[in-house]
Amino acid sequence: MADLSKPSMAWNLTWDAEWVTAVTFLGSSRRVAAGNNLGQILLWELPAKAGGDPPKPVARLDGHINVISRLTSSPDGKTLISASYDHTVRFWDVPENLPAATEPLTLNARMIEDTTRRKSNGAKVPPAMEAKVAVLKSTRTFNEHKEWVVSLELSRDGKTIISGDDGGHVLIWDRDSFAIGKRWQVKGWANAVALSPDCTQACVSERYPLVFDSGRHAAVKIWDAAKAEVFKDLSAEYKGMFFAAAAYALDGKTLAIGRGGELDGMNGSVTLIDPASGKKIRTLAPGHLSGLTDLAFHPDGKHLASSGRDTVVRVWETSSGKLVSEVGKSRGGQFKDWICALAWSADGAWMATADMAGAVQIWTFPG
Amino acid sequence: MKGVAVTGTGLVLPNWGALAQAKSATEAAIKNKKRCIMLWMNGGASQLDTFDMKPGRPTGGPFRPIASKVSGMPMCEYLPKMATVADKLAVIRSMKTQSPDHPDGIYHMHTCYKMSERTPHPEIGAVIAKYNGNPDSDLPSFVRMGSTGNGGAGYLGPLYEPFGIGRDGKLGSFTSPYLPEEGEKKRADLFRFVEDEFTSEHKADPFASHRMAKERAWRLLRAKSVFDSSKDWPKAKERYGDTEFGRGCFMARKLIEAGVPFVEVGQENYDSHADNFVCHKANMQLLDPAWSGLLLDLEERGLLQDTLVIWMGEVGRTPQINNRAGRDHYIRAWTVVLAGGGIKGGQVYGSTDVDGKEVKDNPVSEGDLFATIYTTLGIDSRAKHYHGVRPIWLTPEGTGPVKELIG
Repeated sequence: MADLSKPSMAWNLTWDAEWVTAVTFLGSSRRVAAGNNLGQILLWELPAKAGGDPPKPVARLDGHINVISRLTSSPDGKTLISASYDHTVRFWDVPENLPAATEPLTLNARMIEDTTRRKSNGAKVPPAMEAKVAVLKSTRTFNEHKEWVVSLELSRDGKTIISGDDGGHVLIWDRDSFAIGKRWQVKGWANAVALSPDCTQACVSERYPLVFDSGRHAAVKIWDAAKAEVFKDLSAEYKGMFFAAAAYALDGKTLAIGRGGELDGMNGSVTLIDPASGKKIRTLAPGHLSGLTDLAFHPDGKHLASSGRDTVVRVWETSSGKLVSEVGKSRGGQFKDWICALAWSADGAWMATADMAGAVQIWTFPG
Repeated sequence: MKGVAVTGTGLVLPNWGALAQAKSATEAAIKNKKRCIMLWMNGGASQLDTFDMKPGRPTGGPFRPIASKVSGMPMCEYLPKMATVADKLAVIRSMKTQSPDHPDGIYHMHTCYKMSERTPHPEIGAVIAKYNGNPDSDLPSFVRMGSTGNGGAGYLGPLYEPFGIGRDGKLGSFTSPYLPEEGEKKRADLFRFVEDEFTSEHKADPFASHRMAKERAWRLLRAKSVFDSSKDWPKAKERYGDTEFGRGCFMARKLIEAGVPFVEVGQENYDSHADNFVCHKANMQLLDPAWSGLLLDLEERGLLQDTLVIWMGEVGRTPQINNRAGRDHYIRAWTVVLAGGGIKGGQVYGSTDVDGKEVKDNPVSEGDLFATIYTTLGIDSRAKHYHGVRPIWLTPEGTGPVKELIG
C-alpha cells in the first residue's frame, strides 16, 4: 500500500529537446510515455525498484508535427493515444517486444548547445547523455478535429474517447471504429474535458482568452453526454474563471476542476463538485501559485493530485480536503517552470510528471 | 502649450507650431486627399507568430506558416484571409527601434521621437490631420478608438487633438443633446453671446481653445450620422467579423470615406509575457477578418489607392520563449506592415537571421518608417515647425523614406 504522504524521486529522466508537455503510464506496465512541444514522444521502461542510474528511453514514436497536448493509454497498456496541436489524435500499437533500437538520441542536446555557446563565459559543457531507441510509427489517425486538439480523455473501460479543440468542438467517439457518438460546439475553446466513468456526463471548460475586449469568455458546464445538452451550467458560480483541467473520480461521485491560465497569487485552486447537483463540495487550499495545469485522481479513489505553474504537485485527500503531500519543490524566482502534466501508475505507487524544463520526473511513494 | 515663431526681423508671433509652413503646400496636400488608417496592436504583436515566422527553430513556437498570394511572403496559419490580400502588403521585417517599454514605445511609435525629449511632438494622427485634413469639415480630422497613442497633438496645438470614440466605433453618450434641436441652437447662440462678451474683456489663449473645442463639438453634432453604423453593420460584420475590433475597422472605413484623414483603431491583448500563443491565436482570429475586410472594402470603394493602412504596435516580441509560455518585449528585429495609399504592395522588405534575433539587412528606424509614411501621404517628412524659438522637423535628422516601399 503506497504511503502518499512520503513522495520520493525515483529518477529524473532528462529530455531537453523542448518542453515536456504530456505524460502517461501505459496500463499497468512499467512503461511511461511523454510528449513534448515539438510533437515528439518517447517511451521508457522503468526498473521495478527505484534507484540507480535513470533509465534511458527505449522508443521514439514518430508522427506528430506539433505540440503534444495529452497522452493516455488503453487499460491493457498496448495502445498509446496522443492528442496534438497538429489537429490529430494518433494511436500507437506498442508491442511487448520492441523493434531493435537503432536511432541515436542525445537527451541533453539543448544543454550542450547552450553551454557550448556560453563556453567563453565559463560555462561548463556537460557530457552527452546518449541513448539508442527503437522507432514506432502511429498505426491509426483520427482526423475529425480541424483545430488544435487541446483536451482528450479515454473512458475507464477504454472504449470511448472525449476530445476537445480550440475551435470549441467537443467530440465523443468510439476508440475502435472512430464512430462519432455525439459532437457539439461550445463558445470559445474547449480547453478541458472530462468524461464520467459511466460515460453519461461530460464536463467541458470553455474559454476565449482575450484579456480586455468584450469578446473574452470563460465558462464551465456539465453536459448530458447522451443528449449533447447542458445539464448544469456552473458559469454563474465561477464567473469569469478559466478551468484548465477537469477529472471525475473513479466512482463518478466527485468532479474536480482546477483553475488555470496565469493567475495572480495562489489562485490556481482545485474545486470539488457533486456532479449530480452541480453543487460545490469544497475548494482545496492552498492553490497553485500562478495557476493549475493538470489533475488526476489516484487509483484508490480517495486521493487526487494537482500540478501547477509553481513546479509543485500536491496530493489531496478528497473526503477531507486535507493536503497529504507536496511532490517537488518550487524552484524560486518570480516565475517558475511549469509541471505541465502528471499521471499515476495503475497500482498508485508511482507518479510521473512532465516538466517544462525538459525532463520527466518519476516519483515513488514507498509503503 | 503656446509657442512662438520669430521672424527675420525679430518679431515674435503667437504660433501653434505651423506658421512656418507655406499655405500653398498645405492646400496642395489637402487637395491630394491622402488618408491613413492605423491598426494599433497595443502591447506589441509578435513578429515571429505573424509575418516573420521561424518554423522548426527553437524560437518558432507552435504556429505554422501558410503560403500567401505572394511568393516569399508566408504568414501565420491564423491569418488565412490576410494571405489572400498579400499582394497589397509591404511587410517590413527589419524594424530596429529604440524604446523597449510601453509608454515610451507607444509615444515613439506615434511620434518617431523619444519620449524623453522635452519637446511635445505631435502624434502621426495630428500631423496627418494638419496637412491632409479639411478645415471646413464638420467631422474631426483625427479620430481614434480603443487603446492607442499617448502623445496627442503636441506642438501642433489643440486644433489637432484626437477625438476619441468607443472601441467599437460608437460615439459616447455625451454626444446626445439635452434639448430638442431648436432649443440646443438657442442655447449655443446664448453661449456664444456670453463668451464673446467675456473674451472681449479677457484676451487669453485658453479661452480661445475652449471656444474652438465648443465650436468643433457643435459642428460634430451636425455630422453625427456618419458615426451611426447600425443599419450597415449587420451586413458588414460578415466581412469584418462580429467583434469590437471588426466594428472599429468598419467605422474607420466609414470615416475615411466621409473625409476624415486619419483614424486609429486599437486592438488590445498583445502584451503576452505569459501564454503568448494562446493570446496571439485569439487575437489573430479577430484581426484576420477585420484587417482583410478593411483592405477589400477600401479597394472596392476605390479608396485604397489613397488610403494608407498601417499595422503596427509599440514593440515586437522576443524570439526567446520564456517559462511562462510568453514572449517579452523586443526592439532589435521586428515587423510593421503597410498597405495601400501609395505603398508598393506584394513585397517583403528587410530580413532577420535564422532565429529572428537580429536584423540581417535593411534596418528601418522609427524615423525611416515615419518618413516613408509621410512621403506616401504627400507630406514633407522634413517639414520644419517651431516649438517656441526652436526649430523641429517632422522626422529626426538622418532618417529618410524607404524608397523601395513607395510605389
